[in-house]
Amino acid sequence: MSDAVAVEMLAKAYGEKRAVDGLSFSAPQGAITGVLGPNGAGKSTTLRMLCGILRPDSGQVAVFGANPMSKIQHRVGYLPEERGLYRNMSPRGFIAYMARLKGVRGERAFKRADALLVEQGLSAYGRKKIKSLSKGMAQKVQLAAAIAHEPDLIILDEPFSGLDPVNQQSVEGLIRSLARQGRTVLFSTHIMEHAERLCDRIVMIAAGKKAFEGDVSAALAIVPRVASVETEGDFDLAKALAGHGFSVELEGAVSGGRRWRVSLSHGADAKKLLSACVASGAPLMLFEPARASLHDAFVRLVS
Amino acid sequence: MRQIYLIARREYLAYVMAWGFWLSLISGPLLIGLVALGPLAASRAEPPRAIAILSDDAADGAAVKAAIEEARGGANGGSRYIVVKPPAGDLEGLRPYLTGAKTIALNGSQQALFAAFAVNRNEGKVTLSYWSTNLIDGEPRRRAANALSERMRNEALAARGLTLQETEAISRLGPAIEQFDPRAKAGASAVTAKDRAPYLAAAMLALALWSSVFGVANMLLTGVVEEKSNKILDQLLTRASPLQILMGKLFGVAMVSATLFGVWGGLGAAASTQALAMDPEGRFAEFAGAAFDPALLGLFAVCFVAGYLMFGALFLGLGALCDSLQEAQSLIGPVVFLLILPILLLGPALDNPDAPLVKAVTWIPLFTPFLLMMRAPAGLEWAEMAGPGVLLALTVVVILVLSARLFRAGAVDNLSAAGFRRALWPFKRAKPARAA
Repeated sequence: MSDAVAVEMLAKAYGEKRAVDGLSFSAPQGAITGVLGPNGAGKSTTLRMLCGILRPDSGQVAVFGANPMSKIQHRVGYLPEERGLYRNMSPRGFIAYMARLKGVRGERAFKRADALLVEQGLSAYGRKKIKSLSKGMAQKVQLAAAIAHEPDLIILDEPFSGLDPVNQQSVEGLIRSLARQGRTVLFSTHIMEHAERLCDRIVMIAAGKKAFEGDVSAALAIVPRVASVETEGDFDLAKALAGHGFSVELEGAVSGGRRWRVSLSHGADAKKLLSACVASGAPLMLFEPARASLHDAFVRLVS
Repeated sequence: MRQIYLIARREYLAYVMAWGFWLSLISGPLLIGLVALGPLAASRAEPPRAIAILSDDAADGAAVKAAIEEARGGANGGSRYIVVKPPAGDLEGLRPYLTGAKTIALNGSQQALFAAFAVNRNEGKVTLSYWSTNLIDGEPRRRAANALSERMRNEALAARGLTLQETEAISRLGPAIEQFDPRAKAGASAVTAKDRAPYLAAAMLALALWSSVFGVANMLLTGVVEEKSNKILDQLLTRASPLQILMGKLFGVAMVSATLFGVWGGLGAAASTQALAMDPEGRFAEFAGAAFDPALLGLFAVCFVAGYLMFGALFLGLGALCDSLQEAQSLIGPVVFLLILPILLLGPALDNPDAPLVKAVTWIPLFTPFLLMMRAPAGLEWAEMAGPGVLLALTVVVILVLSARLFRAGAVDNLSAAGFRRALWPFKRAKPARAA
């Protein structure tokens, strides 16, 4: 799969503050790539440089192999983090206006706007003023405006922020549907659950630098797997599992026994631990392997 | 071009569809109508002002009465004042009528006396007392004083043996004045109001240019600040270059003012046509002929475009640096001051279009659009127009390019001192990004 976006040693500073510092990553064509990072990590600055809004101080950006970006702007759709709309325009007019600015001809732009409004469940509001819409509705209008010209690459900066769970799910659905159509989606978020559910690939950024790049399973593999084990009475699990390659810590007492936290070594899985426990004659009350999350991976990488 | 057109179109529609635009459209002619016709309508709606005259000498009283009743400006073009029979025989008796405590019947209504005169003669010496609660309107007093002065002069000359006809002939003495323009062709007639009209027309057009530039520049400034605070510029910048956005906004707002001027101009033309039909040889006809001179209007169009682009681009660039209207107002202060400077020179330019200072300042692009307009009726050489004109055109281009840079820098970046320098310093684009 060739890369829709290739970034090499990208850097941008605001005065003394280095917002992006030697960042390199790529986003494969047709995949959903998440750019993850805490607030102030440099995600928005990176995406704005990808869109050609900001000029990098140094480094290279190639979108569909093109540099400068201006040549392929019509193939890119962008949803900025801080949303802006013309409050006195209608959603239909706004979507069509944004599409026309990307080169879509008049009649077709309005047809496309109508179709997107139906898709987003906003057809009843198409001709009302934007100022009469709720925040969630307005955000959907912006998302529609970002994709109205049917771009090959869609860059979304924090697309879920400010949305209620229902609307978040609807945006997730839209992103999946765009990917199914063969479009490349690159979005930033600091909410890991969205990335975990949606992304084929993730790039984690902290303090302007790349902390991780790869697929979600590779990110999860970074986190040591753990299991919670409860044994009956005063059985010493640490002693029983010594020499098996597990790190066992006593978490505390529970009713009728003790609770242990066992870290699995790299490559080991929960089955192996369970076998070792049984073989050592541990009187098990509970065996609960914890599922590694992207959140854990993120915290581990960033901290 | 398509981007510029689309942005201009949206800007235009956004303004035109706002109720404020229609208010401006209506309020312009309404205001002019009120200013022009308001005082006239007010004076015509007012009943004639009643004045009483107490005079020892019947001839004095008659002279004052005739002079006062000659004053026009009353209802249906009649006299503004009416002399009534005094309701009392002395000033003390008239006092309550003057203060409104008592009234007189006049034309079917009761009203107070507006003023009272007491004219006394004592051994050839004439004294005139004027009583009125209105301390502003001095016309009755002036008219009465002039009438009595003329009467006293005639009496004095008659005492020296001159007849009334001779006295009147002496009063009419004075030189016949004719003014000529040495630049006019030999045999040309004397300078008339028709020759002066182009200068007044140019001054009015320069003022119109100034006020419209000022008005639309403010629209541009507030528009861009609002758009920046709305965070819409990020979306526009992925669809158009800063220069395209800037030009689109400039053209859009220019079309708004063109619509305003078009409607106002149409109404003005209709009113002028009506006025010309009523008085084809009058002063207004002379003035209109000078103001609608195609050469002057052509120059006005060129100066308007250049002045608008220069100041408009400047205001847009500055607007992009501000995050709020309050910030914009404080930043815009010095620019408004710059915009006021040309107005200060309009008077000297009207007085002497070829004064060395006026000539020199015409070369400063900030003043060029206004002063070229003002100096045009005096007959400018081509070099005098072309030189400042080229300089103005270059300045417009430089300001547009720099404003586009400021616009980008201010709109998408938190402009630091270094960023400000980077945006303004080189005349080329910033270095392309390279891999480190």
